[in-house]
Amino acid sequence: MNDYEAVIGLETHIQLNTTTKIFCACKADSWFDPPNTNICPVCTGMPGVLPVLNKAAVEKGVVLAAAMHAELRPLSYFDRKNYFYPDLPKGYQISQYDQSLAFGGYLDLPVPAANGQPAYIRKVSIHKLHLEEDAGKTKNAGHERLIDFNRCGVPLVEMVTGPDLRSPDEAAQYLIRLRQLLRWLGVSEADMEKGHLRCDANVSIRPRGATYLNPKTEIKNVNSIEAVRSAIEKEIERQIREVEAGHRIEAWTLEWDEEAGVLRKMRSKETEADYRYFREPDLLPIRLDDAWKADILKALPELPLVRRQRFMNAYGLPEYDADILTSERNLSDYFESAVKAYGSDPKRVSNYLMNDVLRMLNETSKTADRLRLTPAYLAEIIKLADAGTVNTSTAKSLLQKVEESGMAPGEIVAAEGLAKVSDDSAIRAVCLEVLAESPKEVESYKAGKVTLIGWFVGQVMKKMRGKADPTLARTILEELLA
Amino acid sequence: MELCDIPAYELSLLLRQRQISAEEVTRACLERIAAVDGRSGALDAGSLTPEDEQKVHAFITITRERALNQARTVDQKLAAGEDPGLLAGIPFTTKDIFSVRGTPSTAASRILANYTAPYTATPVARMEAAGAVMLGKVNLDEFTYGSSNESTAFQPAPRNPWNPAHVPGGSSGGSASSVAAGEAALSLGTDTAGSIRQPAAFCGVVGVKPTYGRVSRYGLIAFGSSLDCPGPVARNVVDAALMLQTIAGADPRDSTAAKVPVPDYLAQLEGGVKGLRIGLSPDYFRIAFPDPQTGEYREQSLPMDIESPVLRAAEVLASLGAEIVEDVPMPNTRYGIPAYFVISRVEAASNLHRYDGVKYGYRTRQPIDDLTKLYRQTRNEGFGLQPKLRILMGMYVSAAQYSAQYYQRALRVRTLIRRDFEQAFDRSGKHRLDALLTPTTPTTAFKMGAVYGDSVLMQYADQLTVPANHAGIPGLSLPGGLDADRLPVGIQLLGPDFSEDVLLRIGRAYELATETEDWRKVKPMVLR
Ligand SMILES: [Zn+2]
Repeated sequence: MNDYEAVIGLETHIQLNTTTKIFCACKADSWFDPPNTNICPVCTGMPGVLPVLNKAAVEKGVVLAAAMHAELRPLSYFDRKNYFYPDLPKGYQISQYDQSLAFGGYLDLPVPAANGQPAYIRKVSIHKLHLEEDAGKTKNAGHERLIDFNRCGVPLVEMVTGPDLRSPDEAAQYLIRLRQLLRWLGVSEADMEKGHLRCDANVSIRPRGATYLNPKTEIKNVNSIEAVRSAIEKEIERQIREVEAGHRIEAWTLEWDEEAGVLRKMRSKETEADYRYFREPDLLPIRLDDAWKADILKALPELPLVRRQRFMNAYGLPEYDADILTSERNLSDYFESAVKAYGSDPKRVSNYLMNDVLRMLNETSKTADRLRLTPAYLAEIIKLADAGTVNTSTAKSLLQKVEESGMAPGEIVAAEGLAKVSDDSAIRAVCLEVLAESPKEVESYKAGKVTLIGWFVGQVMKKMRGKADPTLARTILEELLA
Repeated sequence: MELCDIPAYELSLLLRQRQISAEEVTRACLERIAAVDGRSGALDAGSLTPEDEQKVHAFITITRERALNQARTVDQKLAAGEDPGLLAGIPFTTKDIFSVRGTPSTAASRILANYTAPYTATPVARMEAAGAVMLGKVNLDEFTYGSSNESTAFQPAPRNPWNPAHVPGGSSGGSASSVAAGEAALSLGTDTAGSIRQPAAFCGVVGVKPTYGRVSRYGLIAFGSSLDCPGPVARNVVDAALMLQTIAGADPRDSTAAKVPVPDYLAQLEGGVKGLRIGLSPDYFRIAFPDPQTGEYREQSLPMDIESPVLRAAEVLASLGAEIVEDVPMPNTRYGIPAYFVISRVEAASNLHRYDGVKYGYRTRQPIDDLTKLYRQTRNEGFGLQPKLRILMGMYVSAAQYSAQYYQRALRVRTLIRRDFEQAFDRSGKHRLDALLTPTTPTTAFKMGAVYGDSVLMQYADQLTVPANHAGIPGLSLPGGLDADRLPVGIQLLGPDFSEDVLLRIGRAYELATETEDWRKVKPMVLR
């Protein structure tokens, strides 16, 4: 492997999460619906129908293009891509060809440190970014071919990278960052298992340091990030074996068999298919004038990788924290609101989030914006702990109580009497009680088993339902036992 | 005069005055159909009988019960004093290229013979919403591919009511012949290169090809999507205006339908032509075509019978106060047909992709277990000669290696043709025309079988009409007289985008001025 480097480009199809399809009023997402239930004359290509463009699909495409730093065309066109297939009811797919929504663009992909290699940034260029409609689904059932048109006309963005990725890990990182971005922007659910994000990989190898491109193979049907990684790994190994054996790499299309974990040859690709593209006469060009563009991009949020860097620079967070806190836009917004409400020490807020709030999110499978434990409440709880009003364990249980009740932390503390007891005499009384009730343990302690002090503190805390200042309790107990 | 011979506008007055009922009108039309139409077009129709050769054969499907029910609904509304709509009780036919819910919508092709549309085309829906009564679906060239109507898979093909030995023209042959024969007052046709205007001219009726986008294409089974225009066929200009009023306007289901407001065509109809500038172009008084051997352009002048009604119309309009502007150059007219050959076929081949035997329509009965073979066999059996020719040529000229040479070049020619019109109509240009006056067709209706099969020559029948489709501008054909064989001659008015109101006004002025002329009293042969 050391003598070769891999050259990888990814072709992704991204299902935009619009309510309706791109050219008709049918519901776009049919994941939970039986076959052929979200269809109409338009998306099933009945004679005489015409497409009408869903503006929301364009707007989501524009947001994505802008986030990829692509150049938006003020005037773009739809074209017909002609081919026959039973799940393509019109016999052509409405797509964009030479004047698509946007061109150019890139993603600065952070590649984490691994195997002794330091972390680095890989610039991944975008070769193609266009809008198109999805085709249906074909399923072979014995001697019959079943067709589901539900997916016909679902809006897609096809986005193709340059041959810029150099390892299976980089390819996987790209997909992880793309998925994060799509969800962050709110343009796609980006669930690979549900086909919201589909990926084909183009793979070739060349001697390390070479700049030319060798014939590539195309891997299809990879339905998870792990599958992309494994399939590319396998294909690089195969190509190296072939080349070492003195064979040429042929431009095959390969299919990933997930269960067997192997690649199978689908077909040779001697000649490019001629789709006889021409302008779709049934649709007007997309005129993205400045006003519309500004209106769409008004809602463009700070991008995840930019925010990640800012969290490190402005809040002094370690990369690990910044990465996790920007994994989701909701979570990062939550963090920033909490820091603002708290007023100082972002790392302290981060610790609470990373340790406790994240667990809560995982357990409830909520997103951060759905928590009843608002950023303001979180900040209030941390402040209560800082002021010594509650001890650390009470603070942690408060998080849960606020989330369950939706009540303000202060109210819960007051109502349940959770405030930490720092009154010497109150604690002293309970300590005496505990010692009186535990003659055996007192005897053991006095015989030298001083580690029992922790047990005595625990008993005191239990009797006082956690409100006691544990340090004070310990001091008093040690004094009484001396 | 029988009820079925009364034009739509007069019928609507009589209906509103409750002198007649919609049901009576519908029954009169159904009786006329029974008398003159003969058997409807059908697949595998067998050979023609001598009787067949005397009939019109406009229909593929007669929707008798549907029509009578619609008529009764109109009568109930009239009786209840409700507004029954602009076209209440007016009988019309629909070219069988439009989807109409629950009716066979065949495109005159075997491949769609068993297809019943699940929805209704916008222009038909608008006609019916205005109270018009649909009598049925009328014949056409297969998928509209032709200018004689002979290419229909549903035989017998329509015949010209003025002389059934002659073609009615095409592709809206059933539309024009049904209106000319008094089977219906109005018909909804489509015009891709002249398919409304040419049969209207051949059958002595009025045909309007509206501005591209003036009338929604939703539900129109596409031929050349960038050229197709639904439009009215009527017995006179007033009726054409009435119908255009009903079907024109924006449609949320067709994004290429223009959002330009629809003027009140009827209100301005008799405004006269005083001060209008009407042009004549030498390029519309000859036919130019490439020599099949050498490829050199050859020119042929038009017969006197075609030319003189146009010149006479110019005189009439001049006498009414119009200014006639002669020698307007329209130099790119001659390239209209070659460019059309390319553009329409690229679009047609793509539009025909969906007929694959998988979802609806015809599928080969041969046992086949391979998908590609299923496609090939189905399409080979289901399509007639004309669709096959168009697919072959369309696939050829849009192939990656030829596209620049043919398709992209044809698109540039199209721009040049549009520029000819822009310059002629330019308000501050040399000619400043409100309209161009031309013959509609280079000949009158030819004999059945005379030209069919020679696809190229047939195409040149559209030379004077196709430029309007390239340019997207409106055109109106109206009767201008009869030739020596007593076959109708059409005259054509072409105007700038959305000038239908002006064209109709000019047409109406001409119609009024020639109302009492002898040729207008001659009836089609099937009605004599
Ligand atoms: Zn639909």
